[in-house]
Formats: sequence, C-alpha cells, structure tokens
Amino acid sequence: MKNLPTACPSCSGKLAVKRLRCEKCETEVEGLYALPILVNLPQDDQEFILEFIKADGSLKDMASFLKVSYPTVRNKLDEVIAKLKQNETNQKGKK
Amino acid sequence: MNLNPDRKLTTRLFNPFIHTADVQALWIGLAAILIAGGIGALSDSHFDGVLDFHTGSRSMPLWILFSEGIVNWLCLSAVLVIAGKIISKTAFRMIDVFGTQALARWPSIFLALIVLPMASKLKGLNVSQHSQLEPSTEGMALTIFFGLVMIPFVCWMVLLMYRAFSLCCNVRGAKAIWTFIAGLLLAEILSKIIINGLFHLI
Repeated sequence: MKNLPTACPSCSGKLAVKRLRCEKCETEVEGLYALPILVNLPQDDQEFILEFIKADGSLKDMASFLKVSYPTVRNKLDEVIAKLKQNETNQKGKK
Repeated sequence: MNLNPDRKLTTRLFNPFIHTADVQALWIGLAAILIAGGIGALSDSHFDGVLDFHTGSRSMPLWILFSEGIVNWLCLSAVLVIAGKIISKTAFRMIDVFGTQALARWPSIFLALIVLPMASKLKGLNVSQHSQLEPSTEGMALTIFFGLVMIPFVCWMVLLMYRAFSLCCNVRGAKAIWTFIAGLLLAEILSKIIINGLFHLI
C-alpha cells in the first residue's frame, strides 16, 4: 500500500479526503472529510506513537525496545507532542 | 522505526548518551572516575576541580584522590540539575543527569595517563642547586608541551558534559550553552571550596 500524502504537491496546502471506497463491496462515499490529526505527522512520528501505546505508555520499555537511552525517547516524545499541538492550533485557526 | 540507528564510533565517542544514560552510565562513569584517580595516584596527579588537573604536587592519600573525582562529579551534576529545572520546559530525571555527567568524565583517564610517564621527570626538574624550588627551562617546556597535549582531551570532556546536559534536560541553543558555561564556573568554584576543605583533613 502506498503512503498517504497529506500536503498538496502543487501549493503545499493541507489535503482533505473527498472519496472513500469499501474494499469489500466497492461502495463509494463522497464528501469532504478532514484527515485525522495524527495522519498529518511524518511516518516516523506515527510509528513512534503506535509503539508508545503498544508499550503501555512506558518510556523505559520504549527505550529498551529501540535500544536508545531514556532521555532520547523522552525528547522524541516531547518533539511529537509539540508537533501535535502545532497541528491542533493550525486546524483550529482554519475553522 | 529507528530513533537513532547510527552507532558509529563518532557517536559513541562524542555523544554516547543517545544510547547510554541513567544507572548504566552512572556505573561506567563512576568506574572511570575512580580509575582516573587511581592512575593519578601513580604520578601524584590529581583532579582538584571540575576541570582542574595538576601533576607533580605533593603525595596525597588515595582516599583524597578518589574523593576529588566524586566531588567534581557531584558538584557539576547538582548545579546542572538546578540549571535544568530553571531553563528546561520538560520534565527530566536526576538519575539521567548524574549518570551522564559521570560518564562524561571518562576522558579524564587519558589526562591521568598522559602525564604518567613524565611525572617523575617533571618533579625532579623543579629543584635547583640552591635548594629552592625554581622552574627549569626543560621543566617548563615539558609542562607546556603536556599542557598542549591535554587540551584536546579537556575539550572533549567539556563537549561530553554539555551534550549530556543538553540531552538529559532537553535544552539547546544559545540559552543552553550560556547556562552550561555559568554552571560549569559555579561548579568549579564549589568543587574548589569542598576539595580545599578535604585537604585540611589530611
């Protein structure tokens, strides 16, 4: 499966979902739906969040799993939190 | 997903804290501090300040040499924890600061090793024929030469100390650098006071 683009290749604006398709019965739904806020993060950050949840929110377990130190994981989490807050602010600004 | 797949030698030498912190760094660092103190004992060299290192001085009991290293580490770590609490916007663990600051001192082993072969020569050149301690030309030349050789290792150690502080407290940029420098100076003064107090116990 290809990676989902989140920014317009023409003007770098935020992309929204216009059409959804059921893979089972091929029903198509059209509208205009905002992408979930998590999808706007880079692939790397999304994977980090998933692994963080799977690790039960334990930074220590994450550090052990990723073979890096606790402060390194902590700083990465802070970075992701900052990006999410920025995305939230941007979305609220558009509404 | 890899936060940092780079395990090259340069990372291990100049920023090992990406992979090593807390208790693991603490044990390795403390071992390095004690080893450096032990090697210093062989040449009457000692770390009488956070960044100070003197050789050719009077013999010191081993417990003083070990205590100096521990005092230097504790002073800088404590000061940087306080500095981090003031300037950092995120929470951090004290064990990470103390552990990484201990590990950051491991280049001090090289400082102690560098002077080891020449320490006795440096001492012997200090005494003049009038039984008064006067610096000889050869002694001064050796002192300057070894001083220059040690500079890169001291710079390396300071770089490690800063990187440990930056990573553990999640601070960077000019604010972090100036805070670190101020902390280093304060810790140096503090360690000098405490170590001078230790000398009075001898």
